[in-house]
Amino acid sequence: MTLKSLDPRVKRLGIPEEWDTPLSPKETLDQFENYEAFIQVKEGKALEHVGPVHAPNEEMAFLFAKEQYSRRGMFCNALCVVKTENIIGTEFSDNGISIYDAVTAQPSGIENQSYEVFHLLKRGKQHKYVGTVMAKDFEDALVVAKHTYPSQKPVFNVWIAESEHILTSNEEDKDMWETLKEKQYREAIDYKGQDRIKAYKERMGQA
Amino acid sequence: MYGGGNVFEAMKATALAEEDPKELAKFEARIDRGEKIEPKDWMPQLYRKQLIRMIEQHAHSEIIGALPEGTWITRAPGFKRKLALMAKVQDEVGHAQLLYSAAETLGKPREQMLDDLVTGKSKYSNIFNYPAFTWADSCFISWLVDAGAIVNQVANSKGSYGPYCRALERICAEESFHLKYGHHCVIHLATGTKKQQEMMQAAVNRWWAPMMHFFGPSDKISVHSDILMRWKVKMASNDECRQQFLDMYVPKIWELGLTLPDENLHKNLETGMWEFTEPDWEEFKRVINGDGPCNKERLAVRRMAEERGRWVRKALLAPKTKYVAPLA
Ligand SMILES: [Fe+2]
Ligand SMILES: [Fe+2]
Ligand SMILES: [Fe+2]
Repeated sequence: MTLKSLDPRVKRLGIPEEWDTPLSPKETLDQFENYEAFIQVKEGKALEHVGPVHAPNEEMAFLFAKEQYSRRGMFCNALCVVKTENIIGTEFSDNGISIYDAVTAQPSGIENQSYEVFHLLKRGKQHKYVGTVMAKDFEDALVVAKHTYPSQKPVFNVWIAESEHILTSNEEDKDMWETLKEKQYREAIDYKGQDRIKAYKERMGQA
Repeated sequence: MYGGGNVFEAMKATALAEEDPKELAKFEARIDRGEKIEPKDWMPQLYRKQLIRMIEQHAHSEIIGALPEGTWITRAPGFKRKLALMAKVQDEVGHAQLLYSAAETLGKPREQMLDDLVTGKSKYSNIFNYPAFTWADSCFISWLVDAGAIVNQVANSKGSYGPYCRALERICAEESFHLKYGHHCVIHLATGTKKQQEMMQAAVNRWWAPMMHFFGPSDKISVHSDILMRWKVKMASNDECRQQFLDMYVPKIWELGLTLPDENLHKNLETGMWEFTEPDWEEFKRVINGDGPCNKERLAVRRMAEERGRWVRKALLAPKTKYVAPLA
C-alpha cells in the first residue's frame, strides 16, 4: 500500500504506508562538518560572524553560507567561511574585564605564519574581524594581536584562524551580490494591501 | 517552540540540588543582569536539556511546516505567487538550519535530532498535522500560522541563551516578509470574487481550531514551570501569547468580511481579555500523540527524503573529517 495524500507530488513518489524496517540511525557526520560564516554588510565595515553552516567542503560551505546568510536585502559586500575546527577561541571573560588582561607574554618575534583575528566586544553579540597578525603559533598570535589591535572596550572573547584556512569572496566576483536587487519579492515592502482593503470597505459601505 | 504546544521534560525535584550552588548563583545573577548565556558558559543540566528540547522542536516545526505550504508552490496562482511562496518555503527550511545549529551548540548533534524527528521521539508544532486542502489553506498558513509563530518567536528572542536569540533575530526579520505576503494573499481572496471569498472562509473555518491549539493548553491546565521563566527559557505563557495573537489579528480578519467559527469569541471590554469557547484539548493531545490527519504523511515524507538522499550525502563525505560543534 502506498501512502495516500492530497499532495500530487507525494502521491507520485509512491511512498510506502508502512516501512518493513525501522530507520537506520544516521552515521556520524552524515550532516557534514561545521563552518563558521562571516559577512561584510558594506564596503569599509568589518566582516562579522553571522552563524554556522554544515557542508562537505569549503566551496560548498561558501555556497550554503551565501544562500543562508545573504539571500535577501542589499546588505552583502563580502563573505568568508572557516571550518569551525580551524578556529581557536580563548576563554570568555566576564563583562568589564578584557580577556587580553590575562595575556602577559611578549611577542616571540618569529613571524612565519599568518593569522586572522576576530574580537567579541559584547556578550550576546557576534565576533568581528579586526585584522591579520604574523606569529609563530596560535598562542603567539594572541599575544601579537593584543599589541597590534588594542581595543578601547574590553575584549570578551577572541577567535583566531590561520589565514590560509579562510575562504573569502573575490574582489573581482563582486557582481555576484548584484542579483539582490532583483529579489524585491523577498521583502515585506513588496506586499501592500491597504488600498485593496480600503476599496473593499468602500464597496461594502455602498452595498 | 513554533507553537506554545511545547512539550517540556518532566522535572525531577532533585535536579537542582545536584548542581554546584556557587555556579548556579553566578549563572542566575548573569541572567538577572540581562546578559546572555553563551555555549562555553557553565549552565545547569536542566537548562541545557530544556533548551535543546525547545530549540529542536522549533527546528522540526520549521521543516515540517514547510511541507503543507510546499505542496502549493507548483499550484500557486500565477508566477509572482509561485516565486514568493518558493522564497518563503526556502526561508522556513533556512530557519530550521539556524535552529539546529543553535541546538547543536548545546551538545546534541544534528544527526541525532533528525533521527529523533523521523522516529517520533521529538515533536513539532501540532498545527502541521492538518492538511492544506486548497490554495486558501496555504494562504491561511502563510498569514496566520506565521503570525502566531511570530508572537512566540519575538518573545523568545529576548530569552537568555545567546545562540538561540541570535537565530531568532534573524528569523523574525524574515518572518515580516511571510506575514505581509500571507496577508496580501488573504486580502486578495477575501475581497475577490464570491468563489474566492467562499474558499477563504472555508479555510478559516478549517484552521481556526488548530490555530487556537497552536499556543498550547491554558496555563491553568498545562505543566507550568516558574524556573523556566526565571531562567528566561520560556518567555511568555501560552495564554499570554494566545491573547496577544487574538488582539492583533481578530480585528484584521474581521475587517476582511471573514467570520470566525466561534460564536463566543469576543473581547471583554472590562477585562481587556478575549473570551472564547474552550478549545478541545483532548483532540489536541490525540493529534500530538500521533493520531492527526497528517502525522503519518509528514513523517513518511521526511523519512523518504532521508532514505533517498543518503547516497548523495555519503558520496560527498570526506573520510578524514571530525565533528566539531558550532562555536556560537
Ligand atoms: Fe519560520
Ligand atoms: Fe511558518
Ligand atoms: Fe515563516
